[in-house]
Amino acid sequence: MGDMLKGRVALVTGSGHGIGRAIAIALAAEGAKVVTNNRKPGGKIDAIISKDQYDALDEASKKKLNEEYENYSGDAEKTAARIKAAGGEATPCYADISNFADAKRLVETTVSTYGKIDIVVNVAGILARGSVDEITEEEWDVCLDTKPKGHFNVIHFAAPYMIKQGYGRIVNTSSGAFMGNLFYDAPHYCASNAGVVGLTRAVAGELFSQGITCNAFCPHAQTRPRMDDIAPKQDDGRPVFPAAPDPMNMTPFIVFLCSELSAHVSGTVFFLNDNLIARHKEPIAVRTMIKPMEKGFWTVEEIDKAVDAQLLNGYHSIVGKVK
Amino acid sequence: MANTLKGKVAIVTGSSQSVGRAVAIALAAEGAKVVTNSRKAGGTKFLNISEAEYNSWPKERQAEYDALLKQIGGDAEDTAQYIRDHGGEAVACFGDISQWEVGEKLAKCAVDNFGTVDILVNVAGGFGGGGVEDVTEEQFDMNNDIKPKGYFNVIRAVVPIMKEKKWGRIVNCTSKAWQGDVVKFTQYVVCNAGVVGLTRGLALDLAKYGITVNAFSPHSKNRGGYEGVFKAGEAAPRVGIPGKPAFPTFDTHPEPEANAPFICWLCTERGGKVSGSVFSFHNNEISLHQEPTALAIINKPVEYGVWTQPELLDECKRRLFLNYKSICEPDTPIG
Repeated sequence: MGDMLKGRVALVTGSGHGIGRAIAIALAAEGAKVVTNNRKPGGKIDAIISKDQYDALDEASKKKLNEEYENYSGDAEKTAARIKAAGGEATPCYADISNFADAKRLVETTVSTYGKIDIVVNVAGILARGSVDEITEEEWDVCLDTKPKGHFNVIHFAAPYMIKQGYGRIVNTSSGAFMGNLFYDAPHYCASNAGVVGLTRAVAGELFSQGITCNAFCPHAQTRPRMDDIAPKQDDGRPVFPAAPDPMNMTPFIVFLCSELSAHVSGTVFFLNDNLIARHKEPIAVRTMIKPMEKGFWTVEEIDKAVDAQLLNGYHSIVGKVK
Repeated sequence: MANTLKGKVAIVTGSSQSVGRAVAIALAAEGAKVVTNSRKAGGTKFLNISEAEYNSWPKERQAEYDALLKQIGGDAEDTAQYIRDHGGEAVACFGDISQWEVGEKLAKCAVDNFGTVDILVNVAGGFGGGGVEDVTEEQFDMNNDIKPKGYFNVIRAVVPIMKEKKWGRIVNCTSKAWQGDVVKFTQYVVCNAGVVGLTRGLALDLAKYGITVNAFSPHSKNRGGYEGVFKAGEAAPRVGIPGKPAFPTFDTHPEPEANAPFICWLCTERGGKVSGSVFSFHNNEISLHQEPTALAIINKPVEYGVWTQPELLDECKRRLFLNYKSICEPDTPIG
């Protein structure tokens, strides 16, 4: 047990299992009082596999699935119980952060239980997959309502308390998908996580002068939706999500971002994988081509002549070569 | 009339006024047949403000806002008429793209009138300011339902057509706000960042079908940015952080036609090598933004255990935050 966060009060959304649980445990181990959260008691196996899919499995697969599921599932109460068993302080609060009123209740519960709120770590999120022409409106909404909207909801209600006390640490979970980095189609998931990065930058800029920082991280760790035997298989039978690191391994850096030591760090996106920590670039303009305004606006023909040597000199599309 | 886009069929959402209108007219001038779009005939009033907000204003302020809309407002039919008057081909299709079924309606309108869809330029958008603690759920939804959701609505309706012909150009309008360099416009930053994520994800998904997807941040006079709207919304806090502008003033912005030529170029055959990128305009400057890939990395072999805090702090200082300056520091320009 350390004391880097002694006296601090933290809310960790989506901390019933996986990355959120690891972070809640790590913050508590450094002395923070933690409110744990997930949507409802007792995660259900049908959160990752439909009943039909489950029934279609053979007995050995069902057994393995159930064992794995125990490892990677849980709820806010179980996480809080683990923290308390290790000598820390924690209180569970069930709430769906995509619901505005729930988010309010979650923040108010934190404040009424521990008297204030210093730290918000938004981990709640869902994994989504689908091609642009197959995604339904419902799938789009479920994805975007959790992130960025759910993350916004929680920050919206926590910010006034942080502004009042002149101190706060906000950390949001994004994904490499914010850059389009995926090995399958999921444009809604990309939009959702890019929205989180935008939210992070916006909040960082607004609240920096008031002692509040806001950063985002893109994790790579073993989590419930990643479970090999359950996740949908790719066409060649390889699991979509190969085994990933224990989420506990990335928590030291989250503790740093939640501590007083990171006061100068805000609006930045990090990538975490085991002990690897990467800081992302800002998407600033890197090449510019100009035509004097007094000569009138560009024409398409002029652009076509100038673009290769100027704006697109050295250009490499993220898609490689377009067919 | 040039003919770099001769025979192509384009949909331009939000093309009743300003940037969308300029893009629709420019595409038509390059030979494309254009479906113009705005929410409803007669221009729209409640784009950047809610009806409740409008109703709460004194009569004089309402009249001022109405007069401004009359001056700079138009609808999709006005733009289509302008194109036809200048020898181009265009039809108007009214519909709010934040409604799921409107994507299909727009695609159908293009197919019914012009036989196909080759180009989609999404320009429709809302505008809104507020600190994260002030933004209401309604305000957040109003922005995000148009961008990125509305853009997605239309894209998903045209992609099957583009996939079949193995050719397509999709261009989405974002804002420089996407980078977070405007303060106290939380929901506007979020929705525009979402557009960039959507653009990148789709670019990767659709490259194998010969479809490109790019985004641009405009710089022009537009209704949303007009001072009248700011006057209308002056109650919104616009206190920046020291040394950072709150929101740029719009009086020095160029006419929206400044933005259109490069968007036309992206839609040409030659524009096909460009996908997943974000461009921004400032007067006659056209800029390409870098990808936010990893810049600094620290690591420790896991067989030596996870980081201890002293180790981590040391490596943070030495490497991870070498030359680091938060975008929030007063003198870090990120635009």
